[in-house]
Amino acid sequence: MDIKFESIEGNSIPYMVMMSAFALMAVVGLITTFFIIEKGLWVTGMTNRVPWGLQIVMAVYYIGLSAGSLVISGLYGVFGKQEYKPFARIAVYLAMLFLIAGLLSILTDQGRMDRVFVEPFVYFNLRSMFSINPILYIGHILICVIYLWALFTEKRKLTTIVATTAFGWAFCVHSGTGAIFGFGARVLYESPLLPASFVAAAMASGTALMILMIVGLFKVTNRHVDDGLIIWLGRFLAVCLLVVVYFLMVENLYRAYVVELRSAAMYYLFGGIHSILFWFGLLLVGCFIPMFLLFRRKTGKQIRWIVLASALVVFGVLCERYVIVIPGLTHAPEIIAGMEIVQSPIDEGVANYSISILEILQALGVLGVIGFLFGFGLKYLKLLPDEARIYERAVPAVANIRKDESGVAVGK
Amino acid sequence: MERRDFIKIAGGTFLAGSACAYAFRFLTASNIDGLIVENLTTGRKYGMVIDLTKCIPGCTACVEACHNENNVIHSGDKRWDIHWLRKVTIENKLSPEVGKKEVLLLCNHCDKPPCAQVCPVQATYKRHDGIVIVDHHRCIGCRYCVIACPYNARMFNFKSEEEWHNKDHPKRSHGVAEACTLCAHRLDKDQPPACVEACRNVGTGAIVVGDLNDPRSEISKLVESRAVKRLKEDLGTDPKVHYIGL
Repeated sequence: MDIKFESIEGNSIPYMVMMSAFALMAVVGLITTFFIIEKGLWVTGMTNRVPWGLQIVMAVYYIGLSAGSLVISGLYGVFGKQEYKPFARIAVYLAMLFLIAGLLSILTDQGRMDRVFVEPFVYFNLRSMFSINPILYIGHILICVIYLWALFTEKRKLTTIVATTAFGWAFCVHSGTGAIFGFGARVLYESPLLPASFVAAAMASGTALMILMIVGLFKVTNRHVDDGLIIWLGRFLAVCLLVVVYFLMVENLYRAYVVELRSAAMYYLFGGIHSILFWFGLLLVGCFIPMFLLFRRKTGKQIRWIVLASALVVFGVLCERYVIVIPGLTHAPEIIAGMEIVQSPIDEGVANYSISILEILQALGVLGVIGFLFGFGLKYLKLLPDEARIYERAVPAVANIRKDESGVAVGK
Repeated sequence: MERRDFIKIAGGTFLAGSACAYAFRFLTASNIDGLIVENLTTGRKYGMVIDLTKCIPGCTACVEACHNENNVIHSGDKRWDIHWLRKVTIENKLSPEVGKKEVLLLCNHCDKPPCAQVCPVQATYKRHDGIVIVDHHRCIGCRYCVIACPYNARMFNFKSEEEWHNKDHPKRSHGVAEACTLCAHRLDKDQPPACVEACRNVGTGAIVVGDLNDPRSEISKLVESRAVKRLKEDLGTDPKVHYIGL
């Protein structure tokens, strides 16, 4: 089969409006960031008890989307599923953009942004997950660039090599991100399961987003995509969700079972707004409803239901990122065993955190940057295929063979 | 461009970049470390003992002295105020009737400091004399150390302050982390930390700082002879702040 990739013209009014909106968001985000740099991070609403906020939530979310998108591209590159070749380029391009978004979110969250470009490379600390991860992230972006180049130049062998490397690297990237939290910083972070569950959630969110992008882009640009391709991705998404739910169950059961972690588990499950996000945002809306829609024979084969399920998963995994990052910080650590601090000049108990408008503007700014780059890519790179079809494998025609008296086939 | 050329250029750039980075590091950081080894290493391991049985309830002389000495400014907002040393009131969870107790909390200058382990730029490091310190000129403000500290002793400069009490000691810009330095600048001049001095002058000498490696030092004798406790010993961070009467 011969797939023709092409770029869009990018002269339509909706395209111009979209690009202008993204540019505006990026500018607003930039102004907000300068304001925060000037005033100090206190204007974001983060505190000494909750020193990480929405930007870190978004960074982890974007990195997950990136790793997940790359896994989708691997369907063609690694597993040789030719019918997914039409989506390979767009998946790799998105993987690269989401990782850039993750890095931008981390960058704009630093107290001294001016030092980020020198110090981490000069004073590298191999024992810090925060040092190891940038290597994984930069490697990820470089691999994406080579991967895209291999796809654009149609180098099949190189594509397989790079795709396999990228596939493994994506796992490392997200395991590494999970390890920032999981490797023993706070009671509600500490879990060896966290890197693995991060990977599962990344694959779920990445797949869900790819479904939304493929269906949306193909519809907007009047391209044909076979339903069967989306239905298979929907099934894959449902299986990813099962794994996500399994990890969540094991982790929370463990915490609730072990006596010393029980109070933390109760805080996590029933302790505030984050608990509502956990039960309703993540589990109900983000996992169970999509799984119901995707596993059910009737709805699992209809594109509109698959799209709805994917949208719910994208939202649910965002909730998951929030309930990983924030409750781990707001939960009160027990500094003196068996004692409660009843009076202190700082906040010692359960801390409060709410997302501020500045954080939202900053996050929208990052979204604007990658949205703009995405639109730019659609116009100047041949990312989109003319169509995406399931091609039946060629079956050799059954010949009506007749043999002569000596047993030699003579054909019809 | 041929693939081979691309790989050559990319590999060459990477190797050259790495070489430059390490050369720069060797010429700067290594020399600073070298000075520390030469001038400050005398086999010391500084630690602290806080005798809560001597600590006067309501007295905050040590806290005030610390904050004046180190330019730790308060705006009155609990969310962002920095406290290198703080006096808290604790209550037994199981039997509150036992009564309340006041405890000083500060950086524990752990022998295996998690804050130094997680710092991506080695801005937080343990000196050869055991004092855990932050290089404010290197800190990128990621706040991973604030999160990794199990004692809530590490804080972040969310705001800049205009006030500058002690001109002999630098103040910090916003955007960097900080914590108690055990008044390393004073110890280096063989002077006691500000809190110790204040407690001796105003209070009852409840705070003792000294060399844990020297068996003849006051702190070693106290650790040897009295029932001392350390916070969260089960974590294996080996905190060097010891409490009597906790």
